[in-house]
Amino acid sequence: MGRIFTVELEGRSYRCRFCRTHLALPDDLISKSFHCRRGKAYLFNRSVNISMGPLEERMMLSGMHTVADIFCCCCGQNVGWKYESAHEKAQKYKEGKFVLERGRIVDEIDLSTEVYIDTRSDTEDS
Amino acid sequence: MGVVEETEPPLKRAKLRAEEPNGNSSVIGSNTVTNSLGDLMARPLTSQGDVDETVGSKGVIKKSEFVRIITRALYSLGYGKTGAMLEEESGIPMHQSVVKEFLQQVKEGKWDESVVTLRRIGLVDEKAVKSASFLLLEQKFLELLKFEKIADALGTLRNEIVPLQINTKRVHELASSLISPSKFVSNGASGKGKGKESVSSRSKVLEELQNLLPASVMIPEKRLECLVENSLHIQRDSCVYHNTLDSDLSLFADHQCGKHQIPSQTIQILESHTDEVWFVEFSHNGKYLASSSKDQTAIIWEISADGHYSLKHKLVGHQKPVTSILWSPDDHQVLTCGAEEVIRRWDTDSGDCIHIYEKGGIGPISCGWYSDGQGIIAGMTDRSICMWDLDGTEMECWKGQRTQKVSEIAMTDDGKWLVSVCKGSVISLFDREATVERLIEEEDMITSFSLSNDNKYLLVNLINQEIHLWNIESDPKLVMRYKGHKRSRFLIRSCFGGYQQAFIASGSEDSQVYIWHRSTGKLILELPGHAGAVNCVSWSPTNLHMLASASDDGTIRIWGLDRINPQKKVQASSSNGVLHRCNGN
Repeated sequence: MGRIFTVELEGRSYRCRFCRTHLALPDDLISKSFHCRRGKAYLFNRSVNISMGPLEERMMLSGMHTVADIFCCCCGQNVGWKYESAHEKAQKYKEGKFVLERGRIVDEIDLSTEVYIDTRSDTEDS
Repeated sequence: MGVVEETEPPLKRAKLRAEEPNGNSSVIGSNTVTNSLGDLMARPLTSQGDVDETVGSKGVIKKSEFVRIITRALYSLGYGKTGAMLEEESGIPMHQSVVKEFLQQVKEGKWDESVVTLRRIGLVDEKAVKSASFLLLEQKFLELLKFEKIADALGTLRNEIVPLQINTKRVHELASSLISPSKFVSNGASGKGKGKESVSSRSKVLEELQNLLPASVMIPEKRLECLVENSLHIQRDSCVYHNTLDSDLSLFADHQCGKHQIPSQTIQILESHTDEVWFVEFSHNGKYLASSSKDQTAIIWEISADGHYSLKHKLVGHQKPVTSILWSPDDHQVLTCGAEEVIRRWDTDSGDCIHIYEKGGIGPISCGWYSDGQGIIAGMTDRSICMWDLDGTEMECWKGQRTQKVSEIAMTDDGKWLVSVCKGSVISLFDREATVERLIEEEDMITSFSLSNDNKYLLVNLINQEIHLWNIESDPKLVMRYKGHKRSRFLIRSCFGGYQQAFIASGSEDSQVYIWHRSTGKLILELPGHAGAVNCVSWSPTNLHMLASASDDGTIRIWGLDRINPQKKVQASSSNGVLHRCNGN
């Protein structure tokens, strides 16, 4: 386990439940109505700090897809999957997008104790 | 002008020659050469065939020219007897006898005779004749002046130099020197003895005559050496994987570095760390290697005379993994960065920690030296950049608009630029004098970067498993991409290396070291051996054939040349000529 490289997301971000590594932004949230074996899941446009497992064909509720499991790059926990390709036309919109399981992520405002946090609203430039 | 044995008048033969459809080179010139041969009877020669004779497999080298430059080289090397013998044995004199006479007269300072002989040489270019005459007469003038024969000097100037009607500016200078001869500085230092001066300036005259007269009349000195050097340069420049010192180039075989000139064998494994090794770097003088590890220590290794590395100092003190260790510009000190902890400065010789740099509440992510070694820069956890002087006094602190912690920061060794990652996929190049900033906008998140020795190029590692080379001399331009290594979770570093930094090396998560050819982007080597991800590589700045790699398996490997099969040929090229087989091979 070398020197892990992580990206930090600004503002309110969804994080890994186990190690609090940033995973995705609310801005990238597309749908909250996905499901996995363990419960609810969210579909995101983008996700960071994840590593991908091998591609495999999987039969989902919506049909056959080519997916890869994704893992938090810090703790290695399986946090969801990525859609590589969809076999049915109606499902094509999912391609290249990420699903994070609700049970594996936490949704909280960045509560770090770093000093700059209080002045952020002043210095923030979009 | 005819050659003795021939029955037909030479002119007629010459005409015939020209009419022949497959006639070789012109005959006219040959007559002047054969004219001055000493011993016509001894050699059944100057059949026209001889003159057109070529040596070498391609038929482009004229034999007479070849022998003449060899003769010239022999004389230059000081082998006068051999030179003379070659002239006699080959029957090809280095210079026509009239030219020989001329040169001898110049050496002896017989200027009037030399001017006459010059005319006899029969140069076509009138300008050259005039310039050469001017040169000779000028030297005559100067020598007369030196011996204070002013009247004679004046006479030379008026009656011989002026009528040439060239170089009037110099004529005026010479004229003014008549008035104040002591002020006039001629060739060579003053007051070293008149005799010696004259001789040294005469050889200068010879040098300048060489430039004026056509090469076929007076063969330039060192012509053979020049041809050989050109050939070596061409070989070197066309050598794709060139990784050899100039001093190792040989004349005996065409130079072509195969991949065997690039380090590819593990020659030593350094095992003193007890956990993952995250960083490794050679000192600027190549004598030491520094490494830092997750085991919270850093080690300075020293190379012995037989090329073996041994532990010199273990730097203990950090309470967190040490993410990097950087050499001061003079190699006497190192900086270590404890992950989000403190920065420590150590002395290389004693191994003692000299200073600790810290700031309440925040820790360093990355650090670097000032180009003059008199300050420390660091990217901190609160996304600011701090600058301390060596005593620990904070000089500056920039709380810029950075969206990420500054994961890498460096100052170019000319002190001009401060390079740092300012946003995930943007690198800032800050001009310290002009206080302007240039940006490199990358395609994806940047994990690390390194600067080339000449400060003109930046190697950027991206999160998407690509390494990009940027030219940062003026407006940053993407020059090349390197792909093939694996990266998905870790911070993997890459570096420049080899002869003129013509190669790029990188670590990889698949436990191999990757080496690319810098200008073509081609992946040359993948070196297996480590048992874990290779986090960092460093190429020795002084030994072209040595590479070090640091890995999660807790070891550092030193890579060198393949000693078992040193001459593994990449392709079946013969030793003489890259693609052609000559020399009977």
